[in-house]
Amino acid sequence: MAEATATNGNGKPIVIRVENVGKSYVRGRETVEVLSGLNLEIEKGAYEALMGPSGSGKSTLLNLIAGLDKPTKGRIVVDGVDLGSLSEGDRAKWRASNVGFVFQSYNLLPVLTALENTELPLLLTNLPSAERKKRAQTALRVVGLEERMGHRPDQLSGGQQQRVSIARAIVTDPRLIVADEPTGDLDRQSADEILLLLEKLNTELGKTILMVTHDPAAAERAHRIRRLNKGALQ
Amino acid sequence: MTLGAIAVKNIGRNLFRTVLTMLGVVVAIMAFLLLRTVISSWMMGIELAAKDRVATRHKVTFIMTLPLRYVEDVKAVPGIKDVAYFNWFGAKLAGKEDQFFGNMATDPESFLRVYDEIVVPEDQKKNWFENRQGALVGANLAKQLGLKVGDKITLKGTIFPGDWPMTVEGIYTTTRKSIDQSSLWFHWKYLNESPVLTPPMKDKVGWITSKITDKSKSAEITKRIDAMFDTRDTQTLSMDEGSMNASFMSMFATLLKAIDLVSIVVLIIMMLILGNTIAMGTRERTHEYGVLRAIGFMPKHLAFFVLGEAAVIGLIGGALGVGFAYFLVNNGLGQVIEEGSGGMFLYFRMKESDALAGLVIATVAAATAAAIPAYRASKLDVIDALRRVG
Repeated sequence: MAEATATNGNGKPIVIRVENVGKSYVRGRETVEVLSGLNLEIEKGAYEALMGPSGSGKSTLLNLIAGLDKPTKGRIVVDGVDLGSLSEGDRAKWRASNVGFVFQSYNLLPVLTALENTELPLLLTNLPSAERKKRAQTALRVVGLEERMGHRPDQLSGGQQQRVSIARAIVTDPRLIVADEPTGDLDRQSADEILLLLEKLNTELGKTILMVTHDPAAAERAHRIRRLNKGALQ
Repeated sequence: MTLGAIAVKNIGRNLFRTVLTMLGVVVAIMAFLLLRTVISSWMMGIELAAKDRVATRHKVTFIMTLPLRYVEDVKAVPGIKDVAYFNWFGAKLAGKEDQFFGNMATDPESFLRVYDEIVVPEDQKKNWFENRQGALVGANLAKQLGLKVGDKITLKGTIFPGDWPMTVEGIYTTTRKSIDQSSLWFHWKYLNESPVLTPPMKDKVGWITSKITDKSKSAEITKRIDAMFDTRDTQTLSMDEGSMNASFMSMFATLLKAIDLVSIVVLIIMMLILGNTIAMGTRERTHEYGVLRAIGFMPKHLAFFVLGEAAVIGLIGGALGVGFAYFLVNNGLGQVIEEGSGGMFLYFRMKESDALAGLVIATVAAATAAAIPAYRASKLDVIDALRRVG
C-alpha cells in the first residue's frame, strides 16, 4: 500500500502526487466532469494556495487530496499512500492521523468548549484521557488561545473560533493541513491573524499546507499559487 | 471527554425541544406504568388469595346455585375444618345507586370463622349475629358511603327485587389483603326467608368456601368434593381460592387485553415523538456530521452519537416518569383506588420490578426510535454532508 516517497528535481521529497486525475459527478441524467487529466506534485513542507473561479474544481481537488473522495480516473498518492487503494474505513483512519482540516465556517461543536473541540480528533486514538487533554492544551497554546480553553464557540469571536479549528487540525500532529477558504468568514484583521498562524505552522512546525481561497491577499501569503480553471491547472 | 459525554452534551443543544421531548417520555412512561399497575394489581387477587381456603361452585357457572344441603356434605369431607356459604346479592344502596360495591348474603358466624383475617369489635360482632337485618360493612366502604354503626340503610335489590332495610351493626377491617374492605355482608337467612324468594330459589347458595386443615392438600380435597357430587343432579367445581379469583377475573380478560394494548400504543406514540425529535436533530446536524466524518470519525461513531443521545433522553425522561408514577401510586393514589374500587383492587401499588421495567423500556424504546435517524447519519456521504448548510 505505501510507496517509496519520490523526490522532485531539486531533490526535495514529494508529499502529494496527483497523476492524471479525473473526477466526474452524475447529476440527474447528466455527467459533470469537474477535473480532467490533472497532474500535480507538492513537495514536503510546501505552503500552496489553490485559486480559481467558482466551479473550477478547487474544493474537489482539495477533497481528493485530503482523502474525502476518490478520483474517477488516475491516482493520488500522499506521503507514499495511494488513496484510491484504501477502503472508506481505511481512508477515515488515514485522515484521522495524517490530515488536519480547516473549514471556512469553523465547524466547531457548539456544545463543547474550545478544549473539548480541540480534543475531538484524539478521541479516535488510544491515548489516555490526561494525555489527550495535555495535547489539546498544547495545541490551543500554539494558536494563542490558552486563556479561552473553557469557552464554548458562542463565547468566542469568529477569529478565535477559527483558531480553535486550527488547534483541532494540528492536535494529531498531521503531516498535511488542508484549508478550505479559512479566511472566508473573517474580517481583515482576523484573517491576517489566521494567515500568520498558518505561516507559523508551515515555517516553525514544518506542516505542508494546501489552501483553497478566493482571497488574493490570503493566496499571496502562500509560497506558491496554483490556478485552476474548468478542471485543469493553468 | 469521551464519546459518551458528547452524546450526553448533545441533548443540551436545543434545550426547549429536549425538555418537551422528555416531558413526552415522562407522560408516556407514567401512563404506561399506571396501566401496567392496573393489570398487575388486578391479578394481585390471585396472589393474595388465602392458601388454606377452597371454593365450591356449580360446575357450569357461578351464576347457578347449589342446594343448601351441600354445605353440610362439604363440611363432612375429610381435611375440611369449617365451611361458609354465600349468595351474591347484587343490590344498590338507596340514594347512591351509582356506587358499586359487593354485597353478599352469608351465615355470619361461619363466615367470620372461615375468614379469620376479618376483624370486628366484639360488641359489634355480637349485635350483627343477633340482628337478622344487621349488616357488616367494610371500613373502606363505610368511609366511601359515609356509613357508621347504627345507621339504617336500604338496599335496592336487582337480582332479588324490592327494598331490603338493614342496620349497620359492624364495621370490619382485615389483617391480610386476602379479602377487601369494600363489601357488605348480611344474614343469609334474611334473604332465604324473604317472601320474595319462591320455592325453587329457596335453600340455595351461590358458592361454598371451606377452610382446610392442610393447605398443601387443596388439590386433593377439591377433587374429593367434586367426586362426591359427581353422581348428583347438580355437579360442582371446586378450586383453591386463587383459582376462584382467577376464574372471576377471566370475565374481564378482554378488558385486560385492551388495557395491555393501550399501554403498548402509549409506548409506540412515545417512540414516534422521540424518533421525530431525533430525526429533526440529525437533519439539522448533517453538515456537522460531515465535518466529524472528515476528521476521521467512522459511521459507527455517528450512529453512536444519535443512539446515545436518544437513549439519554429516554433514560432521563423514563427515570422522571418512573419516579413520578411510583411516588403518585405508592403515596396516595394507590390507597384511594384500593378504598374506592369496590373491592376490585385489593392492593394497588406499583411493583419495583414494573418500575425497573419502565426505565429499561423507556431507554430501549428511545434508542430503537432513533435507529432510522442513526442509520441515515451513518450512511451520509462526507462530501454531500459537508456541502449541506446546517
